[in-house]
Amino acid sequence: MDATMLPEVTAAGVIIKAVLILAVIAAIAGFGTYIERKILAFMQRRLGPQHVGPFGLLQLAADGIKLFTKEDIIPQHANKFIFAIAPVITAATAFIALAAVPVFPGFTVPFTDIYVPSIASDINVGILFVLGMMAAGLYGPLLAGMAQSNKWGIIGSARTAIQFLSYEVVTGLSILAPIMLVGSLSFVDFNTYQTDGVWLVVYQPVAFILFLIAGFAETNRTPFDLLEHEAEIISGYVTEYSGMRWGLFFIGEYANMITIGVIASVVFLGGYNDFWFIPGWIMIIAKIAFSFFFMLWVRASWPHIRPDQLMWLCWKVLMPLAVINILITGLVIMI
Amino acid sequence: MSLEQFKNRNVGTQNYVKLDLDHAPTDAWSQFKQVVKRTFQPELFVGLGVTLREMMNSLFRGKSHTTQYPFEKLPVSPRYRAIHDMLRLMESGNYRCIGCGLCEKICISDCISMETKYDENQRKEVSEYTINFGRCIFCGYCAEVCPELAIVHGGRYENASEQRASFSLFEDLLTPIDQLNLQQEYAGFGAISPNADENIKSTPLAY
Amino acid sequence: MYEFIAFYVFAISTTILFLITVMSKNVLYAMTALAAGMVMISGLFFLLGAEFLGVVQLIVYVGAVMALYAFAMMFFDATKNIKEKHQNPTLVFLLGGLMALLFVLMFSAPIIGDNIQAIYPMIEGVGNAQAVGMVLFTKYLVPFEVAALMLLVAMIAGIILAGKKMDYSLTESESADEEMNIKKGDA
Repeated sequence: MDATMLPEVTAAGVIIKAVLILAVIAAIAGFGTYIERKILAFMQRRLGPQHVGPFGLLQLAADGIKLFTKEDIIPQHANKFIFAIAPVITAATAFIALAAVPVFPGFTVPFTDIYVPSIASDINVGILFVLGMMAAGLYGPLLAGMAQSNKWGIIGSARTAIQFLSYEVVTGLSILAPIMLVGSLSFVDFNTYQTDGVWLVVYQPVAFILFLIAGFAETNRTPFDLLEHEAEIISGYVTEYSGMRWGLFFIGEYANMITIGVIASVVFLGGYNDFWFIPGWIMIIAKIAFSFFFMLWVRASWPHIRPDQLMWLCWKVLMPLAVINILITGLVIMI
Repeated sequence: MSLEQFKNRNVGTQNYVKLDLDHAPTDAWSQFKQVVKRTFQPELFVGLGVTLREMMNSLFRGKSHTTQYPFEKLPVSPRYRAIHDMLRLMESGNYRCIGCGLCEKICISDCISMETKYDENQRKEVSEYTINFGRCIFCGYCAEVCPELAIVHGGRYENASEQRASFSLFEDLLTPIDQLNLQQEYAGFGAISPNADENIKSTPLAY
Repeated sequence: MYEFIAFYVFAISTTILFLITVMSKNVLYAMTALAAGMVMISGLFFLLGAEFLGVVQLIVYVGAVMALYAFAMMFFDATKNIKEKHQNPTLVFLLGGLMALLFVLMFSAPIIGDNIQAIYPMIEGVGNAQAVGMVLFTKYLVPFEVAALMLLVAMIAGIILAGKKMDYSLTESESADEEMNIKKGDA
């Protein structure tokens, strides 16, 4: 990326960007619950929330009031300190991961000279940082389950650990092939690589599918929602949580969904480049929205799988596929 | 069809038709083949298509299975056993109950209690009649046993209230006198079936 | 100025967190503090401009290694305190102190003797990951490949050790039932 083309990034710009990310993503994460309930309802021939406000739009506010005013229960034999910080870890890591992700294209604030960059912190190893931060996010469910002295919680956190050990390899290996093509770990470079209109998914369809599967596992979405599957382990690691602590877990989960959507859009689906006449910021929002919708769509359609099936899938099917994909990519690059 | 085949108790010796199920994979290669087959069959996408079709149906064609309950109610079956109704005589408007006490006797959860007295015409008259709905299991015996079709089960299934007494008094169960013309001969539980006459048989004296 | 403050924040919190790891009697606290300490160390890497190392620290230590620890920890009751048995506290103290002294000497020796000079200084305009890659695939190619081979050997050994009776279901086979009964009878 040619640095001279862009205006200088100032501290004010970064702060504005950080506030923007925090506000927008937190709002979308909250709003995501409404969208999820509504879409799932339509797919199951129901109506979903519709009495609070027009089309049930204010259901979000009602849920927020409910969560805030609910009694905050900490079980008697729980490790109180760890129990209290576990939801914060989930939410915080989800938002820290978003710091290195380009959410909107850069712009200049009207009437001032402040340039707001597309990434709050454009470190050279953006992709690895996001993956590492999402890896750190596993401590939320893990510690929550272990601190609450509840058997369902322990099972939930054990499942967190095995799920993490399964998908992490696939995530890393699947994203390695596009990294080899682009030759950089920075999201901006990925974006500029695709300015000519050919999306990376055309070159790397296998990697894209593998990344999507691993992304579903990473965000605990339905085919792989082992950690909190109600029919088996009550609520897994959130069994003992109530009120806003429970809400923090959910904000973290939805923020992670958005992060995975952003990574998929920027790395594989052309990023925030203009597309024909559609400006880039609409394109990126549309792509993120579609990946969010796709997660809900899958949740409505497919059953979830057992932990041993997940491990089997990740280690025996997806990982060899990813390695073969990397080999082929390497050969093609060499030739 | 003779009864012979139903009297055969040797379960398992009959010729059962087995479904043509796929055999479970035994070795690694057939397991792998099964995985590949299942992976590249479009079944997963058929599932996605079904949900998308349902979403389009409910979004644009208004097809929804939701009954918005407090605002719209589904009709209940006439044989549904909800809160009781006490019926009146069509001609005189007097209540049908003759105070025989059969319902009180047959009630298995012991929730009906009644007090009767003779009125000035030496007819039995109900002075107190209550049903304790905290105990009633809605079995319908009272309606079945009533010789006068006075107590029947109605369709009032929304029995949440501030106090039980708002259902259980005789006056509340009784058809209001100004709505007597709306009272229908109840076809529901405890009523005489339409072919009751045909079903009457002479007592088999051969025994 | 900011880097100064940030360095001390990271350094002090790393020390405190690792102290908690060593001192705490509660497994859960120790594990949490260890993980948090690893994150703080990666903060130090970021401060030094070694983003790649910082991120690798995050992924490898915070993610993979600690997840394995945590998985092992599922077999304990994490809410209980652990009583450690010290057979010879003086020996432990002495050895620990010697180790600490040795480390201090080792790391401070070059500073006193000769200022550290980077063998492979950062090249301007080349990213962190690229620099690591260049060193790894030129000077340290042989150790790198040997390490990779060792990991491969370890992985195969692990698979063989873990997978000895993998095709043998304890719940489905009848001989396994008998075996379990025999074991019960022995106990």
